[in-house]
Amino acid sequence: MAQTVAVPSGAKSGPVFGRGELARRRREVVVAYLLLAPAVLLVFGVLAYPLGWLVGVSLTNSSVLDTDTKFVWLGNYAAFLRDAEFWRGSANTLGYLAITAILKMAVGVGIALLIARPFPGRPLVFVATFLPWAYPGGLGAVGWYWFLIPPLHSSYSVFMGDLHLFFDSRLGPGTWGFISLIAFNVWRGGSFVGIFLLAALNGIPEDLFDYATTEVKSAWRKFWMVTVPLLRPFLALATFLSLIGAAVDLGNVYYISGFRNVYPIVWTQAFHLALFGGQWGRAAALSLILMPMLILILFVCYRVFEPLEEDVA
Amino acid sequence: MRTTRRFLRLVQGVLLVLLAAYSIFPIYMVTVESLKTVDEDVFGSPFYVRHPSLEWYQNLFEEHEWMTHARIVTRTVPFLVWTRNTAIVFTAALAVILLSSLMAGYALGRLRPPAWRGWRRVLLATFLIPQTILFLPLYKVVFHLHLDDNLLALVLTYPMLAIPFCAWLFSVYFQKLSPDIEESAFIEGASRFTAFLRIVLPMSWPVVIAAGLFALGVISSDFMFAGVFLPNQWHQTIAAGMATMDVSLEDLSVVSGISLGGLPVLLIAALFAGSYVRGLTAAMIEGA
Repeated sequence: MAQTVAVPSGAKSGPVFGRGELARRRREVVVAYLLLAPAVLLVFGVLAYPLGWLVGVSLTNSSVLDTDTKFVWLGNYAAFLRDAEFWRGSANTLGYLAITAILKMAVGVGIALLIARPFPGRPLVFVATFLPWAYPGGLGAVGWYWFLIPPLHSSYSVFMGDLHLFFDSRLGPGTWGFISLIAFNVWRGGSFVGIFLLAALNGIPEDLFDYATTEVKSAWRKFWMVTVPLLRPFLALATFLSLIGAAVDLGNVYYISGFRNVYPIVWTQAFHLALFGGQWGRAAALSLILMPMLILILFVCYRVFEPLEEDVA
Repeated sequence: MRTTRRFLRLVQGVLLVLLAAYSIFPIYMVTVESLKTVDEDVFGSPFYVRHPSLEWYQNLFEEHEWMTHARIVTRTVPFLVWTRNTAIVFTAALAVILLSSLMAGYALGRLRPPAWRGWRRVLLATFLIPQTILFLPLYKVVFHLHLDDNLLALVLTYPMLAIPFCAWLFSVYFQKLSPDIEESAFIEGASRFTAFLRIVLPMSWPVVIAAGLFALGVISSDFMFAGVFLPNQWHQTIAAGMATMDVSLEDLSVVSGISLGGLPVLLIAALFAGSYVRGLTAAMIEGA
């Protein structure tokens, strides 16, 4: 192994250190912790109080209507679990995350495969596909909002209004808002996933694809048996990263529409409960209640993109 | 055989054109919309503008508090102030993010203190905490530090959004980067710091750009923190200002503000897109 001097291999395996080596390693560990400190402080230091507050409040019946705040332990959570409205909300949340994740993956893989090989004008198309994600999400949300749910006065308002009514009357009120939210998130996130996968395709040696191609004949089978497995860790990482984008876009659209577009999704419900209902205890519980699910997703994603965290062979 | 290949190339070409159109379409729509006069907004076509005018853009540069377009009177906004504030916040936040992530990434990927893999995962995991109502207790923190209505509030809170992934990216990059590169500098008598500054950093700039552009993407899609922490119009960033204008009712100056605010980003994206991809590849696969 070439990595004896500069990369002490940590606690895991132990090349036996001499006395001087040991002192050096100890100094190195101290330096490492010092270097790590600012990032850890900026993340956990800033998050500690808000998260602790949320957890604490979620265990009480804190509400602006009732000054007599009492500890109710897991009462808020238990009440939600018995609430049919909550189950619909969490089903919608899961559906929203799943639909956008799948669509973003599909769009992303499509984009990456389309622009991976050279063709005339490639730089231009490449920059164009980069823009949906690079364009500030907050500003893009306003653009999409104006396009899909236009103000009264614009020339396409009637057409969009008809479309709006068409969907809402057939599939229930709020459908169009939901569709526009998904469209916005997929537009943005699909570009992110696509560029991410393009970076992956650029790094995977061509031989791997060529070798596999000799084994698999049909293009369809090649895609599922060669391309997808090779891209899987990158796909998992990109999906993990764009998952939170879905929540951010949801919040942004809700915020800029003056809190009018209420989506039956757990997080907007929590928001609504807090800001308009003043029921802090229940709102905090509602915003935290999906954490177990998110942690589960986290572990699955970690398992799949583990190869990216390995040392080079 | 030859015809099928030609057919496939045609399909690819059509798909590429569609892809480019799909990517640019909403940005194009916003631009077209922002250039319309009141008349054309109501009676024109949504897809093109016949008589482009910059009148809505004038609303962004406060000469008078109110402006008249046709017979509609609209409010103006201090867009230049917002732009300056945004530039300050983004530059400061980016510097904090990149510096702390670079340090953390080097520590985790190269120096590898005990449980470095665990640290990296825990840091990355914070990325998943939904920020929906987190802003409220955060506002309490900001308020207690007397940072409300102060740009520093954003400089303090934005890093939390981007550091998890940036530190991860740097750490997997340094983990894969061959140690021989620094070793040769150590033999010459250089300290670890000098070796990092003179040799490692100059060859790592695509990764720095990848992390920086990612961070920029994350902080520029924030509306919530900016809107909540900065109530005063004269201390706002573009995102905060746009959020206070009720977009569904407000005039076209919102739209022109968007397309103006988006311009520098388009420029940055076009300049750095290539390096962004190279940086991601280097960090996730090659290590050089």
